[in-house]
Amino acid sequence: MARGNNLERPLGNAFWLLGAVVLALLPAPLLVVIWVSFSGDNYLIVPPSQYSLRWYAEFFSSAKWLQSLGISVALALVVAIATTAISLFAALAVEKVKPRARAAFEFLVLLPLIFPHAAMAIALRAANTDLKINATFIGLVIAHIILSVPFCYRPIAVNLRKLDPALREAAMSLGGGPAYTLRKVVLPLLRPGIVTSLWFSFIISFDEVNMTVFLVGTQFATLPVNIYAHLADSADPLIAAISTFLIFVTIALVVVLQRTVGLQVFVDMENRVSEKVKPKVKPR
Amino acid sequence: MNHDDPTLRITRLFTDRRLLAIPMLLMIAIFLYGFVRIGFESFTPKGEFTLDLYTEFLSEPVYVRVLVRTVWVAVVTTCLCLLLGYPVAMLLARSRHRDLLLILLISPWLVSVVVRTFGWMILLGNRGAINLALKDLGLIETPIKMMFNATGVIIGLVHVLVPLMVICVLSVLIQAEKQLEEAATSLGASPVQTFARVIWPLSLPGVYLGASLTLLTSTGAIVTPLLLGGLRDGMLGTQIYQEIFSMFNFPRAAALAIILLVISFLLVLPLLAHESRMRRKRGL
Repeated sequence: MARGNNLERPLGNAFWLLGAVVLALLPAPLLVVIWVSFSGDNYLIVPPSQYSLRWYAEFFSSAKWLQSLGISVALALVVAIATTAISLFAALAVEKVKPRARAAFEFLVLLPLIFPHAAMAIALRAANTDLKINATFIGLVIAHIILSVPFCYRPIAVNLRKLDPALREAAMSLGGGPAYTLRKVVLPLLRPGIVTSLWFSFIISFDEVNMTVFLVGTQFATLPVNIYAHLADSADPLIAAISTFLIFVTIALVVVLQRTVGLQVFVDMENRVSEKVKPKVKPR
Repeated sequence: MNHDDPTLRITRLFTDRRLLAIPMLLMIAIFLYGFVRIGFESFTPKGEFTLDLYTEFLSEPVYVRVLVRTVWVAVVTTCLCLLLGYPVAMLLARSRHRDLLLILLISPWLVSVVVRTFGWMILLGNRGAINLALKDLGLIETPIKMMFNATGVIIGLVHVLVPLMVICVLSVLIQAEKQLEEAATSLGASPVQTFARVIWPLSLPGVYLGASLTLLTSTGAIVTPLLLGGLRDGMLGTQIYQEIFSMFNFPRAAALAIILLVISFLLVLPLLAHESRMRRKRGL
């Protein structure tokens, strides 16, 4: 075997151990939240002196919290559909343009990714104020679309680029018009990219809080923003119950993605669409 | 519509198609307009061009400390993310149960930042779970101060950003041919040599990308430093929040946003430039 193994094995083992420990500790803060949410105490203390479901009862009977949950869900749905439509249109628009023009366009699309959130929040607040939509639902929608677009455009564009051109040519040569070909051939083949995009934009919008605190009015406070406002004041088991609800919604969404498109989209978004839905790829 | 003339049909399709990019361009325009607007605002707070807001900021020791703290917290956070995230990425790259372990990584990552920060508040507070456990074990008598200081902010930010770093490194490690590593080992390289000469250099594009995104997100963070750091020892993001919501001083918030933008670009542009050069060299 290789030289120096005796010396290096402990080092290697420590390395793997560190990886395993970090991975195991990642859910720790969430588990603590779940634990505290079953508290029967009036205040947040650890460990809880008694356990109950009273804080869940309070959450599901509170008009204020249910309303902000409703706003969050409505916002995320609108953002998901709008972002996906915009990204799909954009991907179709630049499919046939010259590579250099497309690269410039894609640079613009990815631009919001490299702007720090605090700066972006101020900029969007200024833009929304000038457009007279500050602290409105539509203002929030636009901000969340801008935030999600860099994550949603790519899966669709990559998916589109990997389609076998022969399929489209066949549809066209058999007499299908461009609209018919798009609807019956291209869109069904783009399903994985579209599902990924819908999913990303929904979850980004549903969870976003850093920028949203700058952009909501009193009328349209989303659930995460209300949680933040409440936490800045005082932390109580009610917040833990609401947070637990959010945690399980997120886990459910992750499982849905894993079943439909596969979690590989996270690691090889750039190069492959997904193992499960491999369209015929033509090597170039 | 004339379906019989193929050239006309193609030209029509072509001109029609590029127009589909308009909604996307509109979003990007709103985004860029916001930045132009706050840049303008910060240089002309009273209608005339002046650098007052910037000179005021840079000559005020309190603000300079905020600036230094922001950079320092971001750099420490990024280093810790790399140190803790890299072993996880290696672990996931080799694991046969990658899809399962990815759920463990991605679910906590996608839970709203405010919920995860809340978890850390429960853990890190003076009467939090960690201090309580240490006290029960007899290891400490007075609680360790882990919240409302930079330690708390860094812990919170590292937890928020480790998964992002893992994803960036993992996506490159998966691409890197596993055979290369086996070849290096079979040619007599020790594990440390294999790592230093083969794995690490191959993973550098992912490291650069991950470090850039971590730096950007932590310099621009708002909610995590507000909740775990408090208002006193603020970062640029919390300072901007205060200027808007306590001082109602929009021009100064705009100037701070521009400063934040410049600082974060100075931090990441060298990394991003290096990353894209490496990618191009490898034809990725």
